[in-house]
Amino acid sequence: MARLKAEAKGKERGWGNRRKKTILLLSMVAPGAIWLILLRYLPMFGIILAFKNYKIYTKDPSLFNNIMHSKWVGLDNFKFMFKTSDSWVMIRNTLGYNLFWILLGIIIAVSFAVMLDQVTNKFVAKSYQTMMFFPYFLSWVVASYFVLAFLDPTRGLIAHFQKSHGMSVTNWYNEASYWPFILTIANMWKYIGYSTILYLAAITGIDASQYEAASIDGASKWQQVWYVTIPHLKTMIIILFIMNIGKIFNADFGLFYSVPLNSGPLFPTTQVIDTYIYRTLMATHNEGMSTAASLIQNFVGFICIMTANTIVRKVDEESSLF
Amino acid sequence: MSKTDNTVVIKKRKRSLNSVSIPAEIVINVILGIFCLACIIPFIFVIIISFSSQTSIREIGFSFIPNKWSLSAYKYIMDLGAQLWVSYFNSFFVTIVGTLLSVLICVLYSYALFRKDFKFRSFFTFFSFFTMLFGGGLAPTYMVCKNMLGLSDNYAALIVPMLVNPFNIIIMRTFFQSSVPTELIESASIDGSGEYNTLFKIIVPISKPGIATVALLNALAYWNEWFIPMLYVRDAKYIPLQYLLMKMQNQADFLVRNAGVLGAEASKIMSTIPQDTLRMALVVLIVIPIACAYPFFQRFIISGLTIGSVKG
Amino acid sequence: MKKVVSIILTLVLVFSLAACGSKDNKNTSGKVDNDKQTTNTGDTGAKATDAATDTAATPDISEPVTLKWYLDGSTVTDDKEVLAKANEYLKEKLNVTLEPIWGTWGDFDTNSVLAINGGDDVDIYFTSSWSANEYNAFAKKGAWVRLDNPDNNLIEKYAPELWKTLPTVLTDGAKINGSDGLGVYAVPGYKDIATQNCWDINATLLEKYGYTVDDIKKLDYYSFGDILKKVKDGEGDDFYPLLVEGAVLERMVDNSIIVTGDAGTNNLLSYYINPTDPSQEGSYGNKILSKFETPEYKKFVEKTREYFNAGYIDPAMGNANQANDTRTAKQLSGQYLIGTQSYSLGYEVQASSERKIKVEMVPSTPAYVDTTSSQGAMMAISTSSKNPERAMMFLNLLNTDPTLFTLLDYGVEGTHYDLKDGKVVFTDKRANYQPWTNGMGNVTQLPPLDGQDANFWDNFKSYYGSAKSIPALGWAFDPTSVETELGSLANVAAEYALALNTGTVDPATELPKFIQKLKDNSIDKVVEEANTQLADYLANKGK
Repeated sequence: MARLKAEAKGKERGWGNRRKKTILLLSMVAPGAIWLILLRYLPMFGIILAFKNYKIYTKDPSLFNNIMHSKWVGLDNFKFMFKTSDSWVMIRNTLGYNLFWILLGIIIAVSFAVMLDQVTNKFVAKSYQTMMFFPYFLSWVVASYFVLAFLDPTRGLIAHFQKSHGMSVTNWYNEASYWPFILTIANMWKYIGYSTILYLAAITGIDASQYEAASIDGASKWQQVWYVTIPHLKTMIIILFIMNIGKIFNADFGLFYSVPLNSGPLFPTTQVIDTYIYRTLMATHNEGMSTAASLIQNFVGFICIMTANTIVRKVDEESSLF
Repeated sequence: MSKTDNTVVIKKRKRSLNSVSIPAEIVINVILGIFCLACIIPFIFVIIISFSSQTSIREIGFSFIPNKWSLSAYKYIMDLGAQLWVSYFNSFFVTIVGTLLSVLICVLYSYALFRKDFKFRSFFTFFSFFTMLFGGGLAPTYMVCKNMLGLSDNYAALIVPMLVNPFNIIIMRTFFQSSVPTELIESASIDGSGEYNTLFKIIVPISKPGIATVALLNALAYWNEWFIPMLYVRDAKYIPLQYLLMKMQNQADFLVRNAGVLGAEASKIMSTIPQDTLRMALVVLIVIPIACAYPFFQRFIISGLTIGSVKG
Repeated sequence: MKKVVSIILTLVLVFSLAACGSKDNKNTSGKVDNDKQTTNTGDTGAKATDAATDTAATPDISEPVTLKWYLDGSTVTDDKEVLAKANEYLKEKLNVTLEPIWGTWGDFDTNSVLAINGGDDVDIYFTSSWSANEYNAFAKKGAWVRLDNPDNNLIEKYAPELWKTLPTVLTDGAKINGSDGLGVYAVPGYKDIATQNCWDINATLLEKYGYTVDDIKKLDYYSFGDILKKVKDGEGDDFYPLLVEGAVLERMVDNSIIVTGDAGTNNLLSYYINPTDPSQEGSYGNKILSKFETPEYKKFVEKTREYFNAGYIDPAMGNANQANDTRTAKQLSGQYLIGTQSYSLGYEVQASSERKIKVEMVPSTPAYVDTTSSQGAMMAISTSSKNPERAMMFLNLLNTDPTLFTLLDYGVEGTHYDLKDGKVVFTDKRANYQPWTNGMGNVTQLPPLDGQDANFWDNFKSYYGSAKSIPALGWAFDPTSVETELGSLANVAAEYALALNTGTVDPATELPKFIQKLKDNSIDKVVEEANTQLADYLANKGK
């Protein structure tokens, strides 16, 4: 009804009003858009560095001149990502961990958000939530000390336990097969609190009358969760999923570099694209290669997002990103 | 008397209709409790290390039970004197101003994207989303910020580079989508409410959980940021707390990388680098204020919950 | 064309041992000029030197100039007082105002590279063979002004004294192939310029088990076994007698050295020196080898594995990020018997007092100077500098005027330090002003510190002055043409090298895998390229 009325009125008021609305909405977008132009779009001229062999233009060195006067090298800067026998390992690790963690993360975070919603004592619920957020404050370097306190083969807690029980000591930092588990736990530990809060806030935004209606119809709490809460979280789940898919070719550098202490024998399960790029650039310091690497990561992410978004739009337009 | 009765009745109703069974709630509490312990213990560990003596770390490594306790890390921090308080102030100032500004920009931008009748809706969605993936890289951004926009050695240099985050814009838009009924805007518009009036008087109040969440994410980002200060700020009077810590961390990393080349020089450098206990003490000093600020945001995120369940 | 000409010119001039500064090459055609040069080499050289001394006498300094100076490794929070004094002094001498940028260990690598690439207005940069703004690579990219360019011969004109003060190993080591041809692109700092790897002996513990340092001197790595066993048995399970830094240990045992320009932390290439006389060719001659494929390396990792299995090496040494911390911790608490240490003069005294044990150093080779160590700390003039002449004059003064150098490095007398019998005693204020001494320039100008010998710097000069240079001094590998390969090889080396060097993995299975992976990622191409470059360099040098 309201919509019909509005449409009727809108027609009456005519074009002038619609233009005014557009201008007002544009003025809302303006501050953010200006920022994006200056700080994001303007620097994008640097992307051509990926196709150049960066040299300094000695006559008048400035970033712009340097880039302009550098030689084109085509796709040479991209080669290092694929011309290595490690390509498969690092791509497999990056994609594998990312996909698994995106799915696992959604399941755990949504469950935690729903569970928190069920805790009757709100003080307890708040305490849980506060504590869950703590790992987010600790950097991976600090977290790696903590992991080391457990896993250190000579002085760690686990080694102590093994020694005192006459077991042989495990050298965790030498045995690649343990690390998929350790990394998964570490990743969940750090980020679950963060995504839980997003879902929790979405749950909080649910209109209470919907639960009322459901409970009047005799729905139990679990049925309410299933028929009211989860459908309501759907948009948030899908949006977060799509955005995470965009980072499918990027890995959390600190997690894969600091937590395993940069230990060589663990590479089969800890080498990811970002650590590979880092080690390469530490050896070559080539600006073109670093630009090329992030370009390719983002390009893959872009393709994935567009695909995911198209699929979502076909199924449920409301939940798509754009 | 009647008031108490009422509460009892409400509680009973709540249990029967709006809560899970008691065994289920126990299970929930156990799961959440264990996870929370896992989250909090590492922080306790950090506190323990910050109070350990460096000799103890040298002898038995990082441990929950150090050989010897020591206050030297905190003493050293107190000796930093003015710098510590200046950095604290900077962190607070940048976080508060930065959060306010970025939330304002984010709400404005995402509200327009949320409006289905906005002519350029899809263009501006893509416009912000695209920058989430593609960027010019470090050097061009640095050049634009420093040389063109003059973001160097001032507070703007700490605030402006992080003002807009496409991720938050999309999150905010999603919150609007899931909590603001379109009819509300239409009826407001029929009642003659201007666009800005509708946004700030009607939409913002009912979107508090979402705004609080985005504000929290922004505040965390500002509080934790150290790379931007490293790039744009040289003058010690602008250095925020997190960068003070990362400076020490980076020096330690540098040493690890170059130990082979520096040789004997490395041990001289080592003496200028603060030790693990100090780094941990700084972590404690960084985490505590933001952890204390957390309940402030939480009020908005959880309060809706409480109202909802009482109503139910 | 102009580039070719200047390369040819340079070669000619280098041969004549007098770089030419007076000639204005701008308008002369290459061919004619070149012919003239070749025919009158000696003559022109002599004239040039005359002309240079003439101009050096009256450089034009009427315009006031501000110099921005980017340093590494500083701990400086308050430089007002020092700068006030220094600028007063510099104003009078050179009409220069100095604006130092105090880079720290933590931010220099990122920020200095950004500044250089962005053409920031900085006049002088710290650079070296190991920092991120690597001397050789950035000289090639065009970041540094060539200082002995025949066009504007900065060194001859503005810094002749400086060049005379420096030992020839340094001036030779600084001469590289850059964007402007073979020449000098930075002023090398006179610091601990030689490398000498030593066995770092915990003599206190050694003597407890009835050995002396002389016993160690008679042995080598392959025969340490008995001593290590005895001490391990005596000290118990948690004690690891052999405290090693993987890469250094490998170099010590195999007599290989760091090849400048090699893949960062994990070196792939080896140049073998002669362990008795480093100035002579080593067992493989002037050749670069793939480090991990030699029989020496195989023998080394097998022995190391044996030591590791016997419990002589701490497993922590195999984790890149843990090794350094653990090693320092064990050194400082004296929990080791034999360690590895790259030495600098007087280190055993410092170490003994830090560790509260008697530390002795047993060298594995005589001290030698290679490219990496001779380029250990340098100052380059940026191509974005508007006043390279004045920058050169400043560098000249900095490295030859003890008053200025002491002021800039140690601070103001009476504020940051006091002089007691000609020796420096630092005050509390020093904590606010602590530049990295070795990263500044000619450290031999400094007054001795309290606790050092009065003739500390004389000893210093004679120790480092007598160090022999290796035959390939000055050559640095230029990886530009094989960067793709180098990148993947660096990853392969990061996976295996440290673990093998410290014995934490079994070489019987891992070494063949490692070598195969190196081959898969074209190590041969890199080695071949390196050898071609080295041969070219030596041929040119010999001319």
